[in-house]
Amino acid sequence: MSDSVELTIPVRSDLLILARLTAAAMAARAEFGIEDIEDLRLVVEELCISVIGTMTTGTLHLRFTEDDGAITVGCSLWGEGDEDGRGESEPDELSLRIIEALVDEYGEDTVGGRRQSWIRKHRSKVAS
Amino acid sequence: MFDAAESPHTPHELWVEFAATRDTSLRDRLITENLGLARRLAHRFAHRGQSYDDLAQVASIALIKAVDRYDPERNVKFSTFATGTIIGELKRHFRDRGWAVRAPRRIQELYLELGATIESIGHERGRSPTVSELARATGTSEESIVEAIEAGQGYRSASLDAPAAGGATLGDTLATEEAATELIEERSVLEPALALLPPRNRDIVKLRFIDGLTQSEIAARIGISQMHVSRLLATSLAQLREAFAGETRT
Repeated sequence: MSDSVELTIPVRSDLLILARLTAAAMAARAEFGIEDIEDLRLVVEELCISVIGTMTTGTLHLRFTEDDGAITVGCSLWGEGDEDGRGESEPDELSLRIIEALVDEYGEDTVGGRRQSWIRKHRSKVAS
Repeated sequence: MFDAAESPHTPHELWVEFAATRDTSLRDRLITENLGLARRLAHRFAHRGQSYDDLAQVASIALIKAVDRYDPERNVKFSTFATGTIIGELKRHFRDRGWAVRAPRRIQELYLELGATIESIGHERGRSPTVSELARATGTSEESIVEAIEAGQGYRSASLDAPAAGGATLGDTLATEEAATELIEERSVLEPALALLPPRNRDIVKLRFIDGLTQSEIAARIGISQMHVSRLLATSLAQLREAFAGETRT
């Protein structure tokens, strides 16, 4: 069984705290270690950066899913009239390196006609 | 001695060669070739209450650690391995030093307490503690722990300030930072700079940034107070910074 939370925020840097807090709260609930939570917060921000690219308008749609000891975060940018707001921009190399270094899986797909970038991080094995 | 003229050509072959020989000149070359990554990551974490110079030092020393620890036989690219190592050290630096944003006093106090509690539980159980464990240990709520983590760690990306600052775009900001980074990334000066430090200071710097010990652990190991370790680290980092500045001016 999985739990999902959806978050919709305008493209504004001061509101990305909501994305970080949501990720941290869900990871805490899933018994992630504090280091993993710190990584997840950082990655969620990089994910948002990579999706926003050079856009200054639009709405970020984030979907956080907790499933079997892992958190998956999908992010897309909606423009005017609910169109895909990302255009052709690609994430910068450094964002990709940070994401690659800190999560287990990441990728891109299409949901409802919009490009969505996603990351997935598993809870680290707990020493007994 | 590593001979560049006869060296293998692909990055993977260089890493295999280094793993086999631990050749110091090859090590210097690998550090030099990857300093740009360390500096770009330092830029990414800058402007949150910590100076770029300090963060660049932390990132560069973490890079050396990554070079020494990287195993080319593992199915992980060096850039990925090094990025994780460098970010880990930057996070630790912020945890030790950083109070980047204003927060209520109770949250500041809780965050400071968390640092010691995280170390303590981590040491005791051999893993990173969970939020619920931290809440129990500090006698507060899980919500307060999450709030303290968010408020206490100012390492979020500098580039995100761009949309709110004078209409500049994220891309503009990134491009400017990357360009500035490229200007100063071409020299490897850490090793010679470390050699300039007095032996005890050099040992302390290596214990802190290469071996990853906390200031308290270093203090216990060499028999001085944590405050003394803190002062010696500050002095040593200032010397390293000066050496860096001298090299980048030449």
